[in-house]
Amino acid sequence: MSASWLSRTLIFAGLVACLGSHAQIAAAADSVAPLAKDTSSHPRGQLSPDLSAALDACRTYVVTQADEFVRRTRAFVDAVKTGRLAEAKSLYAYARQPYERIEPVAALFGDIVKRMDVRADEFELRERDPAFIGFHRLEMSLFAEGTTAGLAEIAERLASDSTELQQRILATPISPTRMVGGASALIESIAATKISGEEERYSRTDLWDFQGNIEGSKAIFVLLRPLLEQDQEFVARVDRNYRRVEDVLSRYRAAGDFAPYDRLTSRDRNALKGPITLLAEDLSTLRARLNLD
Amino acid sequence: MTNRSRHLPGQIKLSRRHVLGVLGATSFAGYAGADDRTPSAGSDGTLEAQPFFGLHQSGIVTAQPAAALYCAFDVLAERPIELERLLRIVTERLGFLTKGGEPPATNPQLPPRGSGILGPVVFPDNLTATLSVGASLFDYRFGLATRRPLHLGAMERFQNDALDPSRCHGDLMLQLCSNTAETNIHALRDVIKNTAGLAAVRWKIEGFLPPHIVKTMGADTVRNMLGFKDGTANLDARNAALMDRYVWVGPERGEPAWTVGGSYQVVRIIRTMVERWDRTPLAEQEAIIGRHKGSGAPLGQTHDREDPGYEADPDGQRISLAAHIRLANPRLPETRDNLILRRSYNYSQGISASGQLDMGLLFVCYQADLVAGFVTVQNRLSGEQLEEYIRPVGGGYFFALPGIPDAGRYLGQSLLEAV
Ligand code: HEM
Repeated sequence: MSASWLSRTLIFAGLVACLGSHAQIAAAADSVAPLAKDTSSHPRGQLSPDLSAALDACRTYVVTQADEFVRRTRAFVDAVKTGRLAEAKSLYAYARQPYERIEPVAALFGDIVKRMDVRADEFELRERDPAFIGFHRLEMSLFAEGTTAGLAEIAERLASDSTELQQRILATPISPTRMVGGASALIESIAATKISGEEERYSRTDLWDFQGNIEGSKAIFVLLRPLLEQDQEFVARVDRNYRRVEDVLSRYRAAGDFAPYDRLTSRDRNALKGPITLLAEDLSTLRARLNLD
Repeated sequence: MTNRSRHLPGQIKLSRRHVLGVLGATSFAGYAGADDRTPSAGSDGTLEAQPFFGLHQSGIVTAQPAAALYCAFDVLAERPIELERLLRIVTERLGFLTKGGEPPATNPQLPPRGSGILGPVVFPDNLTATLSVGASLFDYRFGLATRRPLHLGAMERFQNDALDPSRCHGDLMLQLCSNTAETNIHALRDVIKNTAGLAAVRWKIEGFLPPHIVKTMGADTVRNMLGFKDGTANLDARNAALMDRYVWVGPERGEPAWTVGGSYQVVRIIRTMVERWDRTPLAEQEAIIGRHKGSGAPLGQTHDREDPGYEADPDGQRISLAAHIRLANPRLPETRDNLILRRSYNYSQGISASGQLDMGLLFVCYQADLVAGFVTVQNRLSGEQLEEYIRPVGGGYFFALPGIPDAGRYLGQSLLEAV
């Protein structure tokens, strides 16, 4: 897996060069869209060349995933709009996965994310709230109600939101702390809402999101790993805990699909809690280990 | 009852415990890594400390402070060596938390080591931390099956129970009691952070008692959510002989040798239907319990510490044969073995789906023999009229580990090293 990320890094090496300095585009985007709210800022100039290069590679990873997200969401939305129920259902979790890989970066654009990925229990009116749109609204109709009827507008909005997200990511510089912090933020997201299985309550595709979060976290870690060479014990421990999570997930994977989340035994759920908590604790020290703050 | 009014012996016992506490603290100070600086003196109770080391764990016969927190854990460790590491870490943390001190400074680039909710210097605040093990710890994972305490099993369902699986059982139970909720929460968060990957919280509940009554050290009695004094006829925890007979597992019980000095712990989350109770006539409330609501005296008597006098009332004219206190303890020669040490708290948390108050009794009791104690008493209570007003919804059976003499040992060591 890490090999393919690295090769992507190389493929997009050219792109990185242009992405490094997009301040003008960012300024332009800010005039139309709310500013990404990020308290951390770090003058790029103070970073070592190695760290700078690794962060560029992280950025490339994020951009690649955002592109993939747009593509998959388009296919999903088309299936919904043309009433192909079975296909729409099968594309649902697949479309979300690239988004789950870059969730902490996407979270910089809260206005879009709150439309695309909001859950019914964030509203007092729950499912009946007209502001309940996005992925989970579609999920509810597709999986709980078994219909694509009346979803065209919500689906199209999702597609255009995914494109807007992609554009905003392209136009916004991502601070080093935000980027590095993504590795632990994705694990925090698992610890808070994935272990419980509350995210994909109608489709039970939580393990897809779970996998996406882990992949995204690990992608960043792998790209930063060369800079942590003096910390062999730490690196080995983090690697081991990623592997422990992957081992459990792989047991629930067959023919390119994940088993429904309710199939997860309480024993395996516990087997996930251990390495997830350890990853959360360890990765919370990543910024300090890279001397970022 | 009567020994409650004998204040002098109680006080002597207390001061003896105090001496033990000082000794315990001294031995802890010699422990590598422990910070010996203690906070400056004050009289607000924050510096009150209970011993952590001793023959028995604190928090069982210790006078109840105002705040309690019960947290059940699943052990995530998969091998005996990891379980040992978990128990060592928990022991080290609890030793520190019950004594207090200044944690080592943190590099500001790193997350702080503790939650900081007690401020930069941790104060003991009367904290006791009592660690117990559940039946599930003795399953296939750690090779402990043959060392299970004889009566320890998963808590069974009694007829009035509506057990919620998300609030039942656990491999470990951590009882935290102190003067304030914050101190318990501080301790819990410390333990959770330091046992990452080794244990996961399974369920948790907090309880409280009125501080002004707690401060009377037994001279007055707390009331539960039904408005009745609760604890009047309890065993006197300051009477060491009584505790040896009814609470502590001794060598004579035929239990695995490692259990000596421990005790069976029962935790029951019992919801009380308080709206309905408040719509029940006073006389009926009193008949159901068997005591006067105001004074706490047995029906027909004037003082709460008076004997209910069942011999003079064989047919239950004064105190119904079905009254809670009469069923719980008929005070017959043949029921003398069923005495238990109750150590309950009140709880209150949100409302039910129907909009009624979700509150009740966080019932806790300790006994040397689970079957002769809680199980027998509960079976006698089954079908009591009080059941219309109460609903046990969670809890579990646990075994409170024996105490450890000093920081050279860890809680549960006798269990892990038993053969
Ligand atoms: C919400 C549930 C309960 C309520 C409201 C309640 C209430 C009371 C009250 C008001 C008393 C009289 C005061 C006293 O002596 O402490 C009492 C006594 C007692 N209760 Fe409970 N109780 C509850 C549950 C239980 C349970 C589950 C047990 C044990 C299985 C139990 C065992 C006893 C015993 C042994 C006594 C002392 C009887 C005596 O020695 O005279 N109670 N309870």
